[in-house]
Amino acid sequence: MMPAEQHVLPAVEESAASREIIGASEKSDAPAVVLRDLHKAFGSQIVLDGIELTVKSGDTLAMLGRSGTGKSVLLKLIIGLQKPDSGSIRLHDQEITRLDLEALNAIRKKMGFLFQNAALYDSLSVEQNIAFPLKRHTKMTDSELGDRVKELLSSVGMESDLKKMPSDISGGMQKRVGLARALALEPGILLLDEPTAGLDPITSGEIDELILKLQEEHHMASIVVTHDLQSARTIADRLALLHEGSVIIEGSFEDLEKSDNEFVSNFMKRDS
Amino acid sequence: MRRPFEGQELLRQFDEIGSKSLPLVALAGAAIGFVLSLESRSSLVHFGAQSMLPAALVYSIIHETGPVVTGLVVSGRVGAGIGAELGSMKVTEQIDAIEASGVNPYKFLAFTRILACILVLPLLTIAADFCGVLTGWIAETLAEPISFHRFISQGFSVSTFRDFLAPTFRTVVFGLIIGMIGCFQGMRTQGGTAGVGLSATSSVVLSSLFVILADVILVKIILVFFS
Repeated sequence: MMPAEQHVLPAVEESAASREIIGASEKSDAPAVVLRDLHKAFGSQIVLDGIELTVKSGDTLAMLGRSGTGKSVLLKLIIGLQKPDSGSIRLHDQEITRLDLEALNAIRKKMGFLFQNAALYDSLSVEQNIAFPLKRHTKMTDSELGDRVKELLSSVGMESDLKKMPSDISGGMQKRVGLARALALEPGILLLDEPTAGLDPITSGEIDELILKLQEEHHMASIVVTHDLQSARTIADRLALLHEGSVIIEGSFEDLEKSDNEFVSNFMKRDS
Repeated sequence: MRRPFEGQELLRQFDEIGSKSLPLVALAGAAIGFVLSLESRSSLVHFGAQSMLPAALVYSIIHETGPVVTGLVVSGRVGAGIGAELGSMKVTEQIDAIEASGVNPYKFLAFTRILACILVLPLLTIAADFCGVLTGWIAETLAEPISFHRFISQGFSVSTFRDFLAPTFRTVVFGLIIGMIGCFQGMRTQGGTAGVGLSATSSVVLSSLFVILADVILVKIILVFFS
């Protein structure tokens, strides 16, 4: 396994805020993601009610829970697409809930996000999708950029589809491209929103293997939202089950299987 | 220091908003010029003032018809396009993806479209004016042959360059309105495909409405300060 600091792109434009993050991860074993007493409501509907979670670099946490329990909202809070009502989000020891947009963008450069439907830019080709963050946050020359895009696409088995448009490739391929785009800037934190949703079992298995391989190579702190227990068991070190706004259990797959809690037990039986 | 806009995206928008609107704007300008010439001729002949037709036609086109027709045509074509494109990007989380990658979506998507609208509208207006005057001459010369040179000389006998400048450049404001409303409606889209349709419709309706309102206000301002 290769340590994360060896993968930092030499030409990434870094603000003081982003340098602080890299520095923190290099110097200490401080957790990459720490959520404390996180609350979020939409009107009268309480979605997250005091979430407490910690994820270290190199760890993969699978977030489980029923549909509509706020798993995707949690990821959007972590990357700053939504603001929490209260609570703390610390990424590599830096509180992000009170940052202005510029400082937040500097932190986002060090994070990768795979959206549920990949969210590829449909007016851009596969190649341009991957190059999008690289063009804007690095000083790579065109040839360096081309090499990097090919390298990333090769790592997800899509090197022959450079020129295709997102509408011309399957859902599974879109997920792969989305994953390659999320990894473009060598993120320290990777957030995956249902990476295997809507895919057949064989493609799901391939995506799981890909995530495991990338995790080994890049040593990121990963949070994976999923409904797929098989996938969670394969790719995650720990699982956390979200119910009624709180994490009701956190541990290994076996810990969840052995739980006496009725909801946990039903959830595991239903999905297994 | 980085530019406050994305060069490539701006060029793409020049093409989308400018080049691709040109045929429609030119056709609308041409149709208006032809019809204006036909309609005006019968009235002017009635009063024995048909020699005034080139001047009346040119004055009418460069002062009001050209800019307003261009504004309304672009409101329909581009307003709907921007509203639907950004609305679609919003509901498919593409705008969130841009934001998540540390890029400001307002700078990348909105600023480029608004700037393109602002810069392109006066150019499209000139095209509409030219086509209107050209087809006005064609209609006139079919009824009573007159050389294009003479038609233009008579046409601009009562209009100065200044008369042309202020009305043409008030379309900068139309461009600002169309771009801002399209982007605003698109980026606040909610509710899936129905929401995208709603954003496209409201972009066209609001931008057309505000173009007309702005025209009234700007004509008054131009008359006060430039006449």
